[in-house]
Amino acid sequence: MIEVEALTKRYGSTTAVDGLTFTARPGTVTGFLGPNGAGKSTTMRVVVGLERATAGTTRVDGRRYADLPAPLHAVGVMLDARSVHPGRTASKHLLAMAQTHGIGKARVREVIAQTGLEPVAHRRAGTFSLGMGQRLGIAGALLGDPQTLVLDEPVNGLDPDGVLWVRRLVRELAAEGRTVLLSSHLMHELALCADRVVIIGRGRLLADATVQDIVERSERAGAVRVRTTDPEPLARELLALGAQVVPQEGGVLQVRGTSVDEVGTAARRCGATVLELAAESGTLEEAYLQLTGDAVEYRTADTRGGAR
Amino acid sequence: MSATTTPRGVRTTAGARTGGPTFGRVVASEWTKLTSLRSPWWTGLVTVVAAGALAFMFATASSVDPGFEPTRDLATGLMLAQVGPLVLGVLLGAGEFRTGAARTTFTLVPRRWPVLAAQTVVVAGFALGLAVLTVAATVVGVLPSAVSRDLPLRLTVGDTPGILAGMVLLVVGVTLVGYALGTLLRRTVPALVTALGVVLVLPIVLAMAGDPGGGTMGAAPPHSVTALGTIGAFTPGTAGQLLTTPASYGPMPGMPDVGPVGGGLVLGAWIVLLLTVAAVRLRTRDVR
Repeated sequence: MIEVEALTKRYGSTTAVDGLTFTARPGTVTGFLGPNGAGKSTTMRVVVGLERATAGTTRVDGRRYADLPAPLHAVGVMLDARSVHPGRTASKHLLAMAQTHGIGKARVREVIAQTGLEPVAHRRAGTFSLGMGQRLGIAGALLGDPQTLVLDEPVNGLDPDGVLWVRRLVRELAAEGRTVLLSSHLMHELALCADRVVIIGRGRLLADATVQDIVERSERAGAVRVRTTDPEPLARELLALGAQVVPQEGGVLQVRGTSVDEVGTAARRCGATVLELAAESGTLEEAYLQLTGDAVEYRTADTRGGAR
Repeated sequence: MSATTTPRGVRTTAGARTGGPTFGRVVASEWTKLTSLRSPWWTGLVTVVAAGALAFMFATASSVDPGFEPTRDLATGLMLAQVGPLVLGVLLGAGEFRTGAARTTFTLVPRRWPVLAAQTVVVAGFALGLAVLTVAATVVGVLPSAVSRDLPLRLTVGDTPGILAGMVLLVVGVTLVGYALGTLLRRTVPALVTALGVVLVLPIVLAMAGDPGGGTMGAAPPHSVTALGTIGAFTPGTAGQLLTTPASYGPMPGMPDVGPVGGGLVLGAWIVLLLTVAAVRLRTRDVR
C-alpha cells in the first residue's frame, strides 16, 4: 500500500509536484499517467526515499520509506534503466543488491531466469539495449519478493513480447494481493493493464478513477465508428439521443457524444444490423490529451520535434 | 494445497524473509560492487607499474652519486604515482552518483550512512592491498641500481621501515581523500580537479611561496617558519609527503617540523573532515 498525501516537491522556483494526494491499494494495479515532466518520476523518487518532500507525506505500508526494516522485501523499485553502473554485469549488480538483505545467489539466478536475462547475465549493463535494461530493472524489483512494486515506465523500450510479458506480470502480481504502482505516458498502455488510473499534469492531480470510468469518459469525448446495413434509421435513433452523426460512404457513421455501448444498444432498438463497431483508434489518447491539455509543459517543444 | 492448480510465476523460493540491511551485509555488497568493476583493477595496475618504473628511474639517476643510498629513493616516485590511488578513490566515490547506481544503492539502504561507512571500509581495504603491491614494486624498482653498485638493500634498518610504512599509509590515505571528494562532489571531473589541486598542485605552490629562501649556500641557515609554509604543511598533499619523509631529514623550508607522525595525523584529519562533510551532504541532499 502506497499513500501519497498533499505531496509538494519544489526545486528552487520550479514546482515539480503540487499538493498531490492518491493511494495505491493492495491487489490492484494503479496506473500513474501523465505527460513527460508531469512529476511522475519525482513522486516515485520521493516515495522510495531518494528525495525529500518539500511538504506533505508519503507512506509505504503505513511507514515512512526510511523506517522500513527491510526495504527490498517491502518495496520492489524500478526507477530508471540507468540505476546501474554501466561497468557492472547484470548478475553482479543483482548479487550486490541481494547481499544488502542477505538474499542468496539462488534467488538471483531465479529472477534472472524469470526476466529472461540468462543470455546476457554476464555482460556489462552498459552494453544493454533499452529493453534489456528494463528487464534488469524489473529483475531487481522482484528480487526481494516484495508486497509493493513501484515501476517507472517499465514497458518503455520493450519489444512486443516484453510488453505482453510486463502486462501479464503486473496482473499476476496484483492477483496475488500485491500493490503495483506503474507509471506510463501512454493511456492505452495503462488501459490494458491497470485497474485504476491516477492522472497528473504539471504536478497536480487531474483525475483519479477506475480505468472503466476513464474509458467511458474518453469514448464520450471521442468518436465512435459504426458500419451498418441500415445507416438511416440508426442515424435517426442516435440523433434522438443527442449524439452528433456524420454519415460517410459505405454505410459508415461517425458518431460523437456517445459511447460504443450506447451505439450498440441504439442499433438493436432500431433493428439495424451492425457490421463494425469501434471507438475510433486514438480516442482514448485524445481524451487523455484533452484532460492534460493545459498541463503539457513541453508542448511547443514537442510539436517542433524538440528535445523532450 | 492447490499449488499445482495455481501457477505462480513470482513466488517461489523467495518467500523466505531474510531481514534488512546490516553493516556486514552492506560491506559484502560494496565489496562485490567494487571488485566487479574493471576501473579499480586497471587504476591499480597502472599505479603499481608507474611506482615501480619511477623508483627505477630515480634510483638509476642518483646511483652515480658517490653517497648513493638505494632506500632513499623508495618514496620519491610515489609523489607522482599517488595520482593513481587518488583517481581510483574519485572514480569509486563519484562513479556511484555519475552512473545513477546511487539510486539503487540508497533505495536499498535508505538510512544512507551505513553505505558511506561500508564504502570507506571497502575502499580502504582495496587500497591497502594496492599499497602493499605498490611499495613492493618500488623496492623491485630500486633493486637494479643497488645491485649495479654492489650496495645491500637494507629494508629493516634505520629510517627505511618508517618510509615503507609511511608509503603504505600514503596510498591508503590518498585513495580515501579521493573517495571522500568524489562522494562529496558527486561528479567525476570537478572531484578530480579538486583532488589533484589539493594533493599535487597546492603543496608545490605553497612550498615555493612559503620558502624563506635566504640563499646562504653552505652555511646552514637557521630554520625559519613562514605563514605560507605553515599553511602548506597542513595541505593533504604535503601532509602525505611528510608521511614518507623520515624525521631525521628535518622540516621542509619554511614549514613547522611536524615529522612523519604529524603528517600522518594531518592527512588523517583531512580524511575525517571530508568524510564528515560528505556524510552530512549525503543525509541532507536528494539523490537524483
